[in-house]
Amino acid sequence: MTLTEQQQVSYIASQAAEARVRFELETEGMTLNIGPQHPATHGTLRIVCRLDGEQVVWADPVCGYMHRGYEKLVEARKYQQVTTLINRIDWLGHFANEVPFILAVERLYEVEAPERAQWLRTIFFEMARIANITLFLGDMGVQLGAITPVFYAFRDREHVLNLMEAVTGGRFHPNFDRVGGLKDDLPKGWGDETKAVMRKVEEFCDQMENLLVGNEIFEKRTRGIGVVPQKVALEYGLSGANLRSTGVDWDIRRDEPSPLAWKHADWKVITHTAGDSFARYWVRLQETREAAKIVTQLIDGLPSGPIMAKMPARLRVPKGEAWVHTENPLGEMGYYVVSDGGPSGPFRCKIRTPSFNNISILPWLLRGTYVPDVVAILASLYFILGDIDR
Amino acid sequence: MSDTPSDAPAETEEAAQPAGPPPDPEREALLEALRADLGDALLDAQIIPEDLVIRVDRTAWRRVAETLKIRHGFEYFCFLSGIDWLKSPELETRYEQVYGAIEGEEAASDGDPSPFLGDRVGGGDGRFTVFLRLQNLRTKLGITVKADLDDANPAVETLIAVFRGADWHERETWEMFGFDFTGHPALRHIYLPTEFEGFPLRKDFPLLARAVKPWPGLVDKEPIPGEDEEEEANA
Amino acid sequence: MGLVEKGWVPKPLTKVLNTARKYSLWVYQWGLACCAIEMGAAFGSPRYDVMRLGVIPFPASARQADLVVISGTVTDKMAVPIRRLYEQMPEPKYVISMGSCANCGGPYWDSYSVTKGVDQLIPVDVYVPGCPPRPEALLEGIVLLQKMIQGEDMVDRWTKGDEQGVAQLTAREPNPGRATGGSAKSNEPVVVGAASRGERNQSPVR
Repeated sequence: MTLTEQQQVSYIASQAAEARVRFELETEGMTLNIGPQHPATHGTLRIVCRLDGEQVVWADPVCGYMHRGYEKLVEARKYQQVTTLINRIDWLGHFANEVPFILAVERLYEVEAPERAQWLRTIFFEMARIANITLFLGDMGVQLGAITPVFYAFRDREHVLNLMEAVTGGRFHPNFDRVGGLKDDLPKGWGDETKAVMRKVEEFCDQMENLLVGNEIFEKRTRGIGVVPQKVALEYGLSGANLRSTGVDWDIRRDEPSPLAWKHADWKVITHTAGDSFARYWVRLQETREAAKIVTQLIDGLPSGPIMAKMPARLRVPKGEAWVHTENPLGEMGYYVVSDGGPSGPFRCKIRTPSFNNISILPWLLRGTYVPDVVAILASLYFILGDIDR
Repeated sequence: MSDTPSDAPAETEEAAQPAGPPPDPEREALLEALRADLGDALLDAQIIPEDLVIRVDRTAWRRVAETLKIRHGFEYFCFLSGIDWLKSPELETRYEQVYGAIEGEEAASDGDPSPFLGDRVGGGDGRFTVFLRLQNLRTKLGITVKADLDDANPAVETLIAVFRGADWHERETWEMFGFDFTGHPALRHIYLPTEFEGFPLRKDFPLLARAVKPWPGLVDKEPIPGEDEEEEANA
Repeated sequence: MGLVEKGWVPKPLTKVLNTARKYSLWVYQWGLACCAIEMGAAFGSPRYDVMRLGVIPFPASARQADLVVISGTVTDKMAVPIRRLYEQMPEPKYVISMGSCANCGGPYWDSYSVTKGVDQLIPVDVYVPGCPPRPEALLEGIVLLQKMIQGEDMVDRWTKGDEQGVAQLTAREPNPGRATGGSAKSNEPVVVGAASRGERNQSPVR
């Protein structure tokens, strides 16, 4: 269905009545195509902007350049094959993608993984968060013109990826979670190694704080830019740090019962009231510190025992539906798994990805902003294309 | 905000409870309130572990969403999507092609002659269902709202006046299933190129690569030298 | 240089030129998906530094790039920009296909929206397998490409795909006798162009 420009403008205008746009000169607008290949977009996102001078009149994100058809592919695979595929949705927060799906299947199958497996899952989950967010912390600097932080980010991420590789064999895409537990146990000495790495991660956070947070240019470019009010954030379904930076105190790890081990660690939920790009950066920075704390505490208290429940070789999940969501690094990720009781995979698996909702706010948010601010807003909303496009 | 360890409710220890789901007073109270508010629009409901699923009449779709948002505080829009309940013959035969029939277990089909999958959570029949998930961040409860659509012309009212975020989700659901969201100003492709034909997530849309060469594809079995006899003895 | 078009390139010259070319590749990263992160680690991280191989990342645009590394899943929607950007690159250009999605569709081989391999769109020189390949694997792919470049026939490379341009250049050659010398392979575009326009024996406009 093709739309005339008039229809497009009136559609977006009806959505964004609160944004204020000042027209100083009556000039012909220019259509700027940001992407799909552009250093500032985290992947292949295309934003068609209509500009008046430097101001954006309307913006229309075009996604789908990384659409691989996950929901259809998952239906054609067995349950054990699905984890191989789904840890590529959010490709930086690797392990975190598998967990809600496995928990949903475990709920349908009515099996619980042993305690050690749940603790280890939590540890890997938080390490996925660290691997994901450290890249964001460095990358946000690059988007705003500060090239140095991203080198620190890549260097310190390597330590976390090495740890994951030591356990699972893969730097990312571990494919380690199984229905009923985990694939393997930890190698010897991993615990001490991890605690040393977590200290390095905290040092990295300190470095980022020194480099970026107090920097005048960074503050000027992010404070007050891309402010999202609470009500709008809730309507669009923003989640994760994007929601907490608007003042909503909601963290699925704390607020919803889960078999994973977050309740066994002492950690805080970070919120901020400003709702602008700076708030989003700051919340994620603090969350990385909290994640490092969680990992260190859980390693210390790790219970011993089996890591896999007794499961048959052929998995036959009974008929039913289950919804499980978790606080992934990017936001709230959930799987609605419908099982038909047959021997093959899920009948229907709706994958709720956080970045899809996070980006759906762009037509509303970008109206009236300046072009350099578009880059700052994109960087601070933090999405992964695989997460938007599935 | 400090962490108060949340009480792990009985739902997570289901393996020890053979008979029925454990009681869930919060969700039951919510269900009672909804029954009072929605009346006839609420066709069926079911409380499953950690979730409440209600099925409503499709003509009351928008009214239900508004009621939930305004009167019951479900302000957080999680997602909106659809389900195609047509049983996919392709999947069942594929499994048997590759692995052979499983001895001692019943056949892949569940003996139900209907072309659509039955025994759904929240009941219902028919081919298409649209479902919505909302969350109340204060009471920390979530709710799944389903509505069965007309098989010939699946259509329901748009929710973008209630939740702005429904815009993209409805576009995606239209693109994948072909549901019409009446009142949506711009139902256009979001993921697929404009020239794409067909609705991919419908069960009768085949994955052509699998039809041409079903998994596991070309299986190259090379005998390991010295172990051939062992393999033949075991085979 | 007129030498190359005439097909009169002595071996030492070829060696020098190829060595210079292989150590001054400007890489355009086409980072699509997960492989882009490993590519970023290979190119931007201090550990798997790619600049020590003489390969410099981050050109200002595709029009200044010699090498493109396609990393990640290629979807049908993305095929058009890929083709367009490949055509924007000037010759001689090389393509490395990184990761199994770019090689053959990878884990999404049965998807309705994935192009099964980027070699359906553009010619690929080196395939780097893996999901994702380690940064070291990508570096090995680049080293292999450098070996390929070292062994290239300059004339063949320079005149490849550019028969029209070569014909125009050689029409102004001072010594048509010289043009018939050299390797037979490089002569074909020259001879065909000149013969078709009957300008073989004309004196140059120089």
